[in-house]
Amino acid sequence: MEMRDLVLDGNAIGGLLHELFGTELTAAPCVCAGCGAREEMARLDVYVHAPGVVVRCRHCESVMIRIVRGPTRTWIDLAGTRGLELG
Amino acid sequence: MAGSNSETPRVRTLELDVPGWQGHVAGQHLDVRLTAEDGYQAERSYSIASAPEEPLAVTVERLEDGEVSPYLVDEAREGDSFEVRGPIGGYFVWEPDDPDPVLLVAGGSGVVPLMSMARHRAREGSSAPMRLLFSSRTLEDVIYREELEALAGNGFEVVHTLTRAQPPGWSGYSHRIDDELLREVAWPAADEPKVFVCGSTRFVDAAADGLVRLGYDPRSIRTERFGATG
Repeated sequence: MEMRDLVLDGNAIGGLLHELFGTELTAAPCVCAGCGAREEMARLDVYVHAPGVVVRCRHCESVMIRIVRGPTRTWIDLAGTRGLELG
Repeated sequence: MAGSNSETPRVRTLELDVPGWQGHVAGQHLDVRLTAEDGYQAERSYSIASAPEEPLAVTVERLEDGEVSPYLVDEAREGDSFEVRGPIGGYFVWEPDDPDPVLLVAGGSGVVPLMSMARHRAREGSSAPMRLLFSSRTLEDVIYREELEALAGNGFEVVHTLTRAQPPGWSGYSHRIDDELLREVAWPAADEPKVFVCGSTRFVDAAADGLVRLGYDPRSIRTERFGATG
């Protein structure tokens, strides 16, 4: 298996995001704080094999979202996401 | 779990009876969570195979060393219970009232959410032209082979490619999806088809990149990558 095989997309965290935010987010456009690209969550690169979940821009590869779940709480870092549009 | 059907030696369909299930849209998936006696939890996503009009079913491929798929494919029995979360997804979905032509591109078990779309199209009597390009390793690995044959017609077409071995007299394609194959099978970009590509990361990226080289608008290509761990 190569590193590339481990890159999933935003579809893979649809269930997690729904649980955390209470709404369907895979079709939600997200704006990258790094390069300004606007893409639906499903079109972003997602890494789930780190200790947490990392979402990266498909254009500039900047980290847009980090989610780490602990036994009793969840940490969400959205510093790399300038905007998130909900339908 | 309400029933099951073996699709290939590595692939099984599980019919699920989920209390309070609110229905789904073709292309969506659900998450299955297994909890061990010591509290350890493993969670994986599986695409919904059934049309919205049918009893809920997922189709699962056994991945070696997987934490969830070996149980679902080899061990789960009718009457067993496990946690599911869903339906999930609003991007990789198709509605039969959309009249645009639809190109489906599947690698192996990536056919599962696309099968939900094909079944939904047939159930609804949609007239949207739909074409499935389906890459499998061998004929024995072709998931839903007989049902796909039966569905063909009335604007639904199936094109197979077998990448590892072909039976004697095989007249279909016999290599991985490349630009030439896509050019022969895909609708012209000018027809502005809706495209759904599902399979491994490498498969999805190769197919999507090839379609872009054929002139497809990247935004018209909806993709879903399957994980390599199950």
